[in-house]
This record gives sequence, C-alpha cells and structure tokens, in this order.
Amino acid sequence: MPKNKQAALPPKMLPGEVLRFEDVRLSFGELKILQGVSFSVFAGEFVILLGENGAGKSTLLRLANGLLKPDIGAVAVCGHDTRQVKTSLIAKEVGFLFQNPDRQIFNKTIREEIEFGMKLHGIPTRPSYTEFRIPDFALDDDPFTLSRGERQRVALASVLACEPRLMLLDEPTVGLDDSEARQLMDAVKRRQRENNAAVLLITHDLELANAYADRKLLLERGRVADADILSWEDFSAQA
Amino acid sequence: MLTYYPGKTFLHRLDPTLKVLFAFTISTACFVFANIFVLLGILLFEFLLALSCGLWKWGLRSILGLLKLCALLFVIQILTYGDGDVLLRLYGDWVITFEGAEIGLILTLRITASALPLALMLRVTKPTALANSLYRYLHIPYKYAFAFGMAMRFIPIFAEEMAEIMEAQTARGVELDTRSFFKKIRLLMPLCVPLLLSSVRKIETATISAELRGFGLRKRK
Ligand SMILES: Nc1ncnc2c1ncn2[C@@H]1O[C@H](COP(=O)(O)OP(=O)(O)O)[C@@H](O)[C@H]1O
Ligand SMILES: [Mg+2]
Repeated sequence: MPKNKQAALPPKMLPGEVLRFEDVRLSFGELKILQGVSFSVFAGEFVILLGENGAGKSTLLRLANGLLKPDIGAVAVCGHDTRQVKTSLIAKEVGFLFQNPDRQIFNKTIREEIEFGMKLHGIPTRPSYTEFRIPDFALDDDPFTLSRGERQRVALASVLACEPRLMLLDEPTVGLDDSEARQLMDAVKRRQRENNAAVLLITHDLELANAYADRKLLLERGRVADADILSWEDFSAQA
Repeated sequence: MLTYYPGKTFLHRLDPTLKVLFAFTISTACFVFANIFVLLGILLFEFLLALSCGLWKWGLRSILGLLKLCALLFVIQILTYGDGDVLLRLYGDWVITFEGAEIGLILTLRITASALPLALMLRVTKPTALANSLYRYLHIPYKYAFAFGMAMRFIPIFAEEMAEIMEAQTARGVELDTRSFFKKIRLLMPLCVPLLLSSVRKIETATISAELRGFGLRKRK
C-alpha cells in the first residue's frame, strides 16, 4: 500500500550529485527504521556508511536504487526519482552488490556471470577480465565451485564491469581475510577513480573505512550523520 | 508470504492439530460446492478469519494474487469449453459460452478459496508446534512430522530467498519489476536454478545437523 502521498516532484539534483536522500522515512510495520534521513553523494566520492547491526544500513541501500520506496520523503539517484523510475532501469547507471553473492550468481560459467549485466545494458564484452583478479583460464569454470571470497569477487566483477556511475556495495568484505579485503577495496577504488564514479559502501571494519573513505557516514537511531568528526574512541565507545 | 506471523488472537492460540483439520475442512468444502455464491461466501469467511488475526492486508493481497494466478486457467477454460449458450463469438469457431464462463469462474474461486485457509494456518501456527502436535495427536511418526515441520520451516526461507534473488537480479537490470505477469514469469525461469541449488545445499546442512544430533539413530541399531 503506497503511503507516500506527497506530490511527486522529482527532487532537483546539484551538479555532480548522484544520490540524494531528502528527509526519508521508512517503517516495516511498527518498526521505524529510518526517521528522516538526508544526505547526498557526489561523483568522485568514496563514501562509507557505518552503523550497528540492524541499524538499517542494508535498508538504506535498497532505498537508494529504488528496491524500496520511502514512506515519506524522496530519493533521487542519477537524476531519477525512485518513485517514478523502475529499479531495472536505474540499474543501467547504478551498480548494486548484495551482502550475499549467492543471491546474484546463477549463470553456468564465471564469464557468463560477469558479462550478464554488460549484455543487459549493451556494453561490449571483452576477452579477459584480469583486472578483477580473475584469471583467463578460470572464466569457463562453474562459479558454484568457488570459495565464498572468490564468489564475492565474481559478483563484484559483474558489477564493476558495467562501469556504473554509482556503486552501492553492501558489506562486500565480510568473510574475507585482511589482504583479500584490501584487494577488493583496491579494485573498487580503482574503478571509482578511473570513471570519476561514486561509491556508497557499507562495512563494519573501521580500519578499512579510515583507509579508503573520502567521507564517512554513521546511521544511528534512524538518522544519518557525518561521522568524520567522530574519533576512534567515539566508535569504540559505541560498539 | 507464508512466514509465521506472531500474535495472540483466537486462531493463534487454537490447538495446531485443530487448526490443520479446520483448514483442510474448509479447503475440502470448496470442492464440494459448485455454486459461485457459496464459494464467494467461503472466500468472505476466510477473509474475516484473516481479519481476526490482524492479517486483513495479507488476506486481501493473497486473494488478489491467487485470482491473478488463476486468470490463465480461467482463460483456457472459457476458450476450450464449447457447449452451451453463446455469450460472445470470437474469431471463427472460438466462442465463449455462459457455461464455460461459469465453470471457469467456479474453478478460479475454488482454487483461491481452498488455498487460502492452508496459507492462513501456516501464518498463525509456529512450525515446531505444528510438527509436535501432528506427532502427538495424529500419531504421525515423528520422522514424517519432523520432515513436515522441516518443509514448513523451509517455505519461509524459500520465499525469502526467492524475494532476495529477485531483488538482486532487478538491481542488475532484469525487468522483474515489470507490471506484466507473463513477462515476469518468463524472466523468472532462469532464476529457479540458483534457488534450487542453494536450497538443496541448505537442506543437506539441516539433514547433517539432525543426524549429528542423533536423529534416526534408534532405527539404525
Ligand atoms: N523486509 C523487511 N521486513 C521487515 N523487517 C525488515 C525487513 N528488512 C529488514 N527488516 C528489519 O529492519 C532492521 C534493519 O535491517 P537492515 O537494514 O538489514 O540492518 P543492517 O543492514 O544495518 O544490519 C532489522 O531489524 C531487520 O530485521
Ligand atoms: Mg545489512
């Protein structure tokens, strides 16, 4: 049941602004998840979203590409109002990596999996994808025989290969060891720099956040605040 | 859609075995009566039951969803049934008759009205309570009651997983957020494979953990 009766004016975006939340509120039944979230992400920015388990980070990410619609408020992404444009269309410009790579992977070979999105969006495919640390000889393997970390890499490769303007990544480093996590973050950062794209990434790992973020946001009690002013001690006190 | 919805209403507190019997009785009744108005009455009664559990929105959505699913059956039925008074003459030999339309409508209502009480029963009964009571009162061997309980427990996992897979593919650009029902079905077909694969893996894990806890040991000795 659409609760959002607000006049459907597309929120105006500033130059370079790729994502904008405007006083977004969302509840699941009685459970209030977001209670007035406002922030923006600009092209060329690497933004990391922090927050406790269950704070609503994944929910916020699903609002960002229109998988969920706000009860009140508006979300604009790459010039689209998520209330008016279908997620499958937004997907052309916005890449989304789910927490669990197995939700995404279903093709028979790694190559097909990586090229799935490219073919959907009419992006020319290439003979090799070594920049994602996937060796050529592995491209014809079944992705389900891979380890979890490798599957995560394949899922990420299929997102990055589409060269999105905005990448929404939900805890991509969970279950990876330190060096694997850094390599994954490096791949994201490289793609972001090369395309002047924007990244909104969720992680629990503060060290990683400090190493890679241009800006950190904290989701707490239904609101998003700038987390750059907070120090290490503040975070550990909250954790 | 079929997950347990916690609550303390009358139907929630009703004994699980009674609930199962009650649900099956209503379902069976739908196949006994062939009168549109009786079937509509049963459907209304079921909606009121859902309402009494605080699930009116779900009830309404389920009824509409089931009716939509049955639309294809309805169309096949009215197109293939040639006897009786002509209601509408289509191209050439194709006619729609009063009887065909009536039978199609009855079929649609029957399926909808018989599926709903079972779905509602699942929504207001804890899966473990269901398995236990089947074992205790209906003397269904525990192995089967357990399997049934397991199956029930996997329905919500299955549904949740399907929803997540659909979200993930929509986010990649598969047009699963289309309004067209048939297009959606066509796009969904290739996704059934990963769903089945990961579910089989989960069931294997559950079986292993059940065996590790000694399930079925007595039989084997
Ligand atoms: N589809 C849903 N229906 C009902 N509750 C949900 C749904 N999705 C998430 N929630 C609840 O919303 C809260 C926030 O979830 P989530 O966004 O996944 O948090 P996080 O990613 O920060 O851990 C949790 O309490 C979760 O149980
Ligand atoms: Mg999460």
